[in-house]
Amino acid sequence: MTSSDTLAAAPPAVELEGITKRFPGVIANHDIRITVAPGTVHAIVGENGAGKSTLMKILYGMQRPDEGRIRVNGQDVDFRTPSDAIASGIGMVHQHFMLADNLTVLENIVLGAEPKKAGGLDAAGARTRIRELGESHGLRVDPDRLVEDLGVGDRQRVEILKVLYRGARILILDEPTAVLVPQEVDELFGNLNELKAQGFTIIFISHKLNEVLSIADAITVIRRGTTVASVEPGSVTARQLAELMVGSELPTPETRESTVTDRVVLDLDGVTVCGSGDRPLLKDVTFPVRAGEVVGIAGVEGNGQSELIEAIMGLRTLDGGRILLAEEDITAWTTLRRREAGIGYIPEDRHRQGLLLEAPLWENRVLGHQTRVPARKGIWVNRAASRKDTERIMREYDVRAPGIDTLALALSGGNQQKLIIGREMSGAPKFLIAAHPTRGVDVGAQAAIWDHLRTARAAGLAVLLISADLDELIGLSDSLYVIYGGRMVARLDPNQVTPEELGGYMTGAIAEGQA
Amino acid sequence: MMPAGLQRALLTVAGAVVAVLIAVAVSSVAILAAGASPVTALQAMFDFGDTQIQVVNSVTTLLNRAVPLFVAGLAVAIGFRMNLFNIGVEGQYRIAAVVAAFVGSQFDLPGPVQILLIIAVAMAVGGLYALIPAVLKVTRGVNEVIATIMLNYIAINLAAFLVRGPFAGERAEGQLTTSTPELPESAWFPNLNFLFEMFGLPAPRGGGLWGFLAVAVVAGLIIWLVLERTRFGFEVKATGLNASAALASGIDPKRMVISAMVLSGAVAGLIGLPEILGRTHAYGSNFTAGLGFLGIAVALLGRNRPGGIAVAALLFAFLDRAGAPLQFADIPPSVITIIQGTIVLMVVIANEVTIRMSMRNEERRAARQLATTNQAGVAA
Repeated sequence: MTSSDTLAAAPPAVELEGITKRFPGVIANHDIRITVAPGTVHAIVGENGAGKSTLMKILYGMQRPDEGRIRVNGQDVDFRTPSDAIASGIGMVHQHFMLADNLTVLENIVLGAEPKKAGGLDAAGARTRIRELGESHGLRVDPDRLVEDLGVGDRQRVEILKVLYRGARILILDEPTAVLVPQEVDELFGNLNELKAQGFTIIFISHKLNEVLSIADAITVIRRGTTVASVEPGSVTARQLAELMVGSELPTPETRESTVTDRVVLDLDGVTVCGSGDRPLLKDVTFPVRAGEVVGIAGVEGNGQSELIEAIMGLRTLDGGRILLAEEDITAWTTLRRREAGIGYIPEDRHRQGLLLEAPLWENRVLGHQTRVPARKGIWVNRAASRKDTERIMREYDVRAPGIDTLALALSGGNQQKLIIGREMSGAPKFLIAAHPTRGVDVGAQAAIWDHLRTARAAGLAVLLISADLDELIGLSDSLYVIYGGRMVARLDPNQVTPEELGGYMTGAIAEGQA
Repeated sequence: MMPAGLQRALLTVAGAVVAVLIAVAVSSVAILAAGASPVTALQAMFDFGDTQIQVVNSVTTLLNRAVPLFVAGLAVAIGFRMNLFNIGVEGQYRIAAVVAAFVGSQFDLPGPVQILLIIAVAMAVGGLYALIPAVLKVTRGVNEVIATIMLNYIAINLAAFLVRGPFAGERAEGQLTTSTPELPESAWFPNLNFLFEMFGLPAPRGGGLWGFLAVAVVAGLIIWLVLERTRFGFEVKATGLNASAALASGIDPKRMVISAMVLSGAVAGLIGLPEILGRTHAYGSNFTAGLGFLGIAVALLGRNRPGGIAVAALLFAFLDRAGAPLQFADIPPSVITIIQGTIVLMVVIANEVTIRMSMRNEERRAARQLATTNQAGVAA
């Protein structure tokens, strides 16, 4: 539609100039400068905590900058609320879907912008418009289906339609691929390319660099709250981009030589958990974890990973099967007894299961170890020893905080996670569950966490790794299983498997038994 | 830089002081509306009498009132520490008091043994009565707030029935109230009047300064040790701060609910004893009521910490005692109730504000620390 001549003459779709935003004690954004050309996909990359989210909240009117100017299509704007941003044609697709599950696609799309006819909802009119929008942008979703029946990819399409329905010409997508498997990512990119061809401008926030390189027309890198580089995707490699993001040499999750022994530490034998529904949550799960071995579990979230962890930790009773730790049947043991016997646990949600946020760091060191040395002395909590050992963890695991009396909530995600890992590695565990160990932590902490896991593995620890980061799974694991619908559907060799193949098993596209 | 813990503590104290000051300001408006002068009211509240004996008597009244309030605050706080709302302290102390008073009157052993036995009976009855809502909660998921409120009604009326029926003692000629049989003299807790005499002051009139004060202080120390220093106390705190993290850390939530509730009830059993052992020597139908409910406010004001609860109990006792002098100054004593109400409300608000402030503070400190180490790293 638009020729390159008009493109060159048109003012930038979005121009951010000198944006600065301070929060008490921290500068979230500092002198951010970004120019987004209309009709392009512009990627903004940066590690967690670099200030991407704050920047997008500013652009979407959720927060106001302390300094700087925002121009949309050449016009100065001052957004006070998201409605102002929507009025200027900016729409946001959030990382976590904001959909009401028990409403239909149509109801979700019109929610808050309902077309009225004679005082009621003009459902027929809305349906026609949604169909038109879907047809013209290649985002086909049946408007009358319930959102709870939709898959992740369809839900995302509904989110995009919601934004288009409100007349947005500039779309912000916040980590849109975080929840998608590789095949769905390809579909999303197809949609985005189509939108771009029709003159829409897309701001794409991500830290998955290969994806960014394949979709973006321009890339801006943010580090520590400020823009450090603007690059063309053709001129950089993923590695160079990552190094721009981190500002230093990049870590890799790969482990070198195998340390797997033939001593089985944890043995799952036909573990079955029935839920309230028809299908069991876990069915006949059997696998061993050996000393010095990292066993990776891949799977789309909600396929039984949480139940598997709960079963091993003793938070859920089994309906069938046995769990053995060092040849002892621990199926009937309490969580406490399992922990005392040497099971460590890095939970998937550290705020929910791993920390007492309102307690000082040293009390968090005691958590889960309250019955063991050094935290315990008879009926007392051994404060002196716990405090001293917390100092050791902070030193050895590079937990950056003012001191052991700091409340856990004051730490960044990466430092909280390092504290948890240091704690779980204390007391010579035999077996460790690491659920999403590097989720929401910055690249520096990620490298440190991988190092700790590798060191522990070399020292003979048996590790069960559950992660949504396929590179992490492939890089760290010695054996790799895929969980789908509560069953182990494939055992793969991490040295051979590609992310695409893994994605096929995870979505059930490749049936079991072929591996 | 100040240690993080000290800074948090100072902020908490400052919050409580501000809350009390605001409450006084709000109450002044109420006093003005009632047609009196706030200055006169304040003077009346601090008026402990003109002569030495009057001052001693006032102080004694204040301390005697503070003792049961302190114990009630402790009982409530044990549950509050793990987000367990034992509203049933009221019922637990009444049923414990009537049973302990009756049992104590049935035999006559040497002093210390008699008193210890009465204390043990009261704690056992309070603990057992609190066991009911605890068991209902862990086996059937019954909300402890509802269960304990209902059990309060049962306990209050059961106590009233017992003191008129099976546990009733002989009623003296012309006496309108009924009570349990009088305790033998061995169970009369010796008073602490010698504390006044030590300073050359006259002994207070009446029953004097209740000796149970000493028991309350010891109980406060023990509970502080249990909550702040033991494994059990840590488990209570962890469960209160984050129940799912506690569960994943091997803390059995059912065991925690049962033990915290029973401990809370056992301490609640002590609330009635200062009065029974120190003054009335029996449980009568006009026994002091409402201490359990006041204990909720005291625990809240004291932030569930024994030290804070002691201060809060003294403050409430101070306000209660001020009722009489206010009346002499022609100011309606309901002003006291208004002050108490506003204090509790203000403290709840101040708690929220100071908690947020100290968290922001913490985050700022951590961020500053990180910034300096990063710069150091760059420079190096």
